[in-house]
Amino acid sequence: MRVPLSWLQAFFEAPLPEVERLVDLLDGLGLAVEEVTELPGAPAGVRVAEVVSVAPVPGSESLKRVVVNDGATERQVVCGAPNVVAGMRSALALPGAVLPGLDGPVAEREVMGVASQGVLASPRELGLYDHAGGLIAFGPDAEVGAELASLWGPETVVELELTPNRADAFSLLGVARDLAAKLGVAYRHPAQGLDQGDPALDDGLELDVEDPAAAPRFSLRAVRGVSVRPSPVWLQRALASLGLRPRNNLIDVTNYVTFELGQPSHAYDLAQLGGGVMQVRRARAGESLELLTEERIELDPADLVIATPGADGSSVAIGLAGVMGGSTHSVSDATTDVALEVAHFDPVTVRRAAQRHKLITDARTRFERGVDPNLPELASARAVALIAEVAGGRVDPGVSLVGARVERPEIAFRPSRVRFLMDFEVARPDQRRYLEALGCEVSEDAPDAWRVRPPSWRFDMSIEEDVVEEVARLHGYEHIGETVPNMHFVPPAGDPTHRELKLKLAASGLQETISYVFTGEAELARANAPAAVVHLSDPQGVERGVLRTALYPGLLAAAVANRRLPALGLFEVGRVFGHEEEERLALLTRGPRAANGWGAELAGDFFTLKGVLESLAGLLGAELGTTPTTEAPYLHPGVAAAVTWNGEPVGYAGRLHPEVAARYELGEVYVAELRLPLAGRVIRFGEINRQPFAERDLAVIAPVEDTFAQVARLCREAAGPLLVSLEPFDVYQGGQLPTGQRSLALRFRFRAESRALTDGEVDGLMQNVIRAVRDAGYDVRA
Amino acid sequence: MHDGSENGRPTEAAKAGPQAPAEAGPWLAAIAEAQDAAALQELRVRLLGKRGEITQRLKALGQLDPEARREAGRQVNLLKRSVEEALEARRAELERQRLEAQLASERVDVTLPGTRPPQGGLHLLTLVTNRLLDVFQSLGYEVVTGPELETDYYNFEALNFPPDHPARDTQDTFWTTDGRLLRTHTSPMQVRYMETHRPPFKVVVPGKVFRNEAVDVTHEAQFNQLEALVVGERITMADLRGAINEMAQALIGPGTKTRLQPTYFPFVEPGAEFAIWWTNPRTGREEWLELGGCGMVHPKVFEAAGYEGVTGFAFGFGIERLALVPYAIPDIRYFYQGDMRVLEQFRGVL
Repeated sequence: MRVPLSWLQAFFEAPLPEVERLVDLLDGLGLAVEEVTELPGAPAGVRVAEVVSVAPVPGSESLKRVVVNDGATERQVVCGAPNVVAGMRSALALPGAVLPGLDGPVAEREVMGVASQGVLASPRELGLYDHAGGLIAFGPDAEVGAELASLWGPETVVELELTPNRADAFSLLGVARDLAAKLGVAYRHPAQGLDQGDPALDDGLELDVEDPAAAPRFSLRAVRGVSVRPSPVWLQRALASLGLRPRNNLIDVTNYVTFELGQPSHAYDLAQLGGGVMQVRRARAGESLELLTEERIELDPADLVIATPGADGSSVAIGLAGVMGGSTHSVSDATTDVALEVAHFDPVTVRRAAQRHKLITDARTRFERGVDPNLPELASARAVALIAEVAGGRVDPGVSLVGARVERPEIAFRPSRVRFLMDFEVARPDQRRYLEALGCEVSEDAPDAWRVRPPSWRFDMSIEEDVVEEVARLHGYEHIGETVPNMHFVPPAGDPTHRELKLKLAASGLQETISYVFTGEAELARANAPAAVVHLSDPQGVERGVLRTALYPGLLAAAVANRRLPALGLFEVGRVFGHEEEERLALLTRGPRAANGWGAELAGDFFTLKGVLESLAGLLGAELGTTPTTEAPYLHPGVAAAVTWNGEPVGYAGRLHPEVAARYELGEVYVAELRLPLAGRVIRFGEINRQPFAERDLAVIAPVEDTFAQVARLCREAAGPLLVSLEPFDVYQGGQLPTGQRSLALRFRFRAESRALTDGEVDGLMQNVIRAVRDAGYDVRA
Repeated sequence: MHDGSENGRPTEAAKAGPQAPAEAGPWLAAIAEAQDAAALQELRVRLLGKRGEITQRLKALGQLDPEARREAGRQVNLLKRSVEEALEARRAELERQRLEAQLASERVDVTLPGTRPPQGGLHLLTLVTNRLLDVFQSLGYEVVTGPELETDYYNFEALNFPPDHPARDTQDTFWTTDGRLLRTHTSPMQVRYMETHRPPFKVVVPGKVFRNEAVDVTHEAQFNQLEALVVGERITMADLRGAINEMAQALIGPGTKTRLQPTYFPFVEPGAEFAIWWTNPRTGREEWLELGGCGMVHPKVFEAAGYEGVTGFAFGFGIERLALVPYAIPDIRYFYQGDMRVLEQFRGVL
């Protein structure tokens, strides 16, 4: 919402505060200031000039030789504007003038052999507003020969970012009202005292509102005998400062009133209305409408339309209510009689129709947020008075009006609640003054039992807390103190954001990354990840069509981004969206694990990744288990493990399937994806066992398909409870071993609780192991 | 610690005692020239061994008469002592040389790079979130997290967003084809928490949120928020400002200021935007840092949770802003690209 300060000033007797203070006041009122801009006025050396004659330039299709009267003399200029016509008033830049939209100063020169003594300028060339489709055009108010800068001066514009609840402030009037309440001064309502028309008089119009719920208030008023022409300079300047493009005096007035009072309206050509009848009804199946933008839309039976009887008497839609008028019956340059529609429409009806046809218009924005339902009569009075002022014509003393004034319900309000919620005191008379300044009616039943009736334009006030906020807002949030709540609350411990886990992973050499939860189906397929379960209905492109079903594809993307690095270790903690939303941890390792760049290097492989998981489990005292698996289609079938954590299956770890790796143009990459939380074990302590270990080594020759875990389990069972640990210290394949066999060199450590074991005892246990191993069909080398 | 090696000429002192007999001269010279421990041992055996020359002389003393024996004994003992001292000195010298040689051979160039285990680190957004959680936990808040895929009820309806109201447009939503949505703020956890807990409490909710809007250097479709909710018998707007101030103090240091300005969020009434006064670490300028929204929990929200007779406040803000502004990170999208050139710069302290 742009607020030109000279316009805002017009609401007040006394001068407004300086801009800086004004910005603070508006911010403090909740009308947040986004930006303050200084709009320049018209440049120097530009005069209002009247076109005397227009003749073609020989040899040119578009250029014209134009003679203009600049108030002192006649000049000849060459001009290519399509709208140049004898009798029009426009802006003539004299030689030497510098225009914001032209390179270099204006100079006398020759164009195709014709002397040109100045430039007739477009609004963009003049830097006044953004339109380059023709010359700026003035009406009879602009005196020929006048310096344009004296008519069109600079302007300061404060741009507000309004919150959706403050529809009432979406106008100069609304901002002035809030400011007046804050400053404790009066403001002038632009429609105050204007003739609103007498509904009892015959105005030659007929209103037929079929659906009063959707159009609870509707006014139609005639102005006859108008001249459509460029608006006076003051009106053009006002619209330009809002960022709007002036059109003609009728359309400009409706736009002006929209921004001044916050009430949209639409001017129809009265001669086009069948029998002066205007209908408001739902659209019919198969009906269509050509909008002002010349776009034709197919209407939906839920759309509310403005209609009029056509030549054959059947009703023809001429506007989409509250959104946009149609092209056929709106005012045009040929209009002499105007029927001005000023109505209140149901916000939801307008919003749905506009959404259906994907139309964003100023009227839609206003109606869906809420327009004062009692405003149409006032706005209509203001608009027709302005039309008569700028376009001539006679305002009909009658008016066609449907619907009645409405009142908002009263709110029971305890002034003590201000103190209760805000913790600051506002004296009751001040509270009353604030509320009345905002337009509320206040009735006091008891000192702490008030009834507050909000004004019809404050849709956001419906409960006591809303009233408290209004009092607090006007009193000023700067009065809010800083206290500490008096409460007893001991927060339960916990680590829902997995801080410990992340720290441990970072300390084990992995970098945390964060990826998007949205991805594309093709991306999931590329990574051999589970197919998407959750699809977005309005995605921003295919790469954001679905929610991720796994984390590791995000790590693969990161690995691609870091392909130039020799080694990489990444992790991500995040949520995935299968049939259930689930928190997961994904890891990725690639390349040598430890290196100094000049010699030593520890190659990275599956055991690098597993080692990270083992040390994580070790730090948490958890038990990590791995078994070969073929269940994870994204992993190399020979280098894939199902992972258990304290015995519970939590996910998979392994080498990325070469087929997937090739799609990403990655080499050997290792990934793991585990469900969270990965719980730790509660610390337990046992007295130190001071007995020495008895160690024995044994090599088991077994088929390569038989895992270490299988062999170890067999050995553990045979060795019995005195076996404390069993670790492989050499894994060997090839050489003299038969093909398909490998040697697992195992170190056994035995120990008893409270006595030293004898050699004989240990040898006996090892004999059990050897027997069991042989029984299983394995060979043994001691 | 030992004999004269500090002057760099240890052999001087080792040559002989002051009263070394002249006949010791060749022996002492041989000892001084011994090149290793084996040669020294050989000399020790030749001179002091069971059949060593000095041992033989000592044995021979018994055949002398007492008078001569005393004098000869003194001479032989003197001889023996000077040889022993010379042997020990030479042994120490050889040991010192050996050690020196070993140390020289074991020398490394300590300026070469170390063998590094891979360098890990946390994401800047995690670091900033952790810092905030530290602050809130030290202030007695419970940390909770919640689902990112939400329902209209928790994201909007229970938070007093009326259906068909433009307030929903300010929260450009990613809807799913099954009618759910990616949460547009962390506020759904207000309702979820209240459904399962009774006041009084103080909770804080960090997490990802999503907005279906055009992405540029300061806007991401996915970003992080942190939300605080405090409910008790009589919580006031001053408690809210106090809590924001406490957070600001803990985050930025003592003496910071807070500013509240009226604004609108459907789930609070009164509502405000808040800013904290800080020195921008990048520019060194003192300025207001506009952080987020806050207010008193709307009675409709309490109604949805089934609470009566309590008041509360809530405030929330984006975490990215606290990560972008101080470190002058030019593009919010850097956070999600997984580029190590970006990520590895996030190591250090905040």
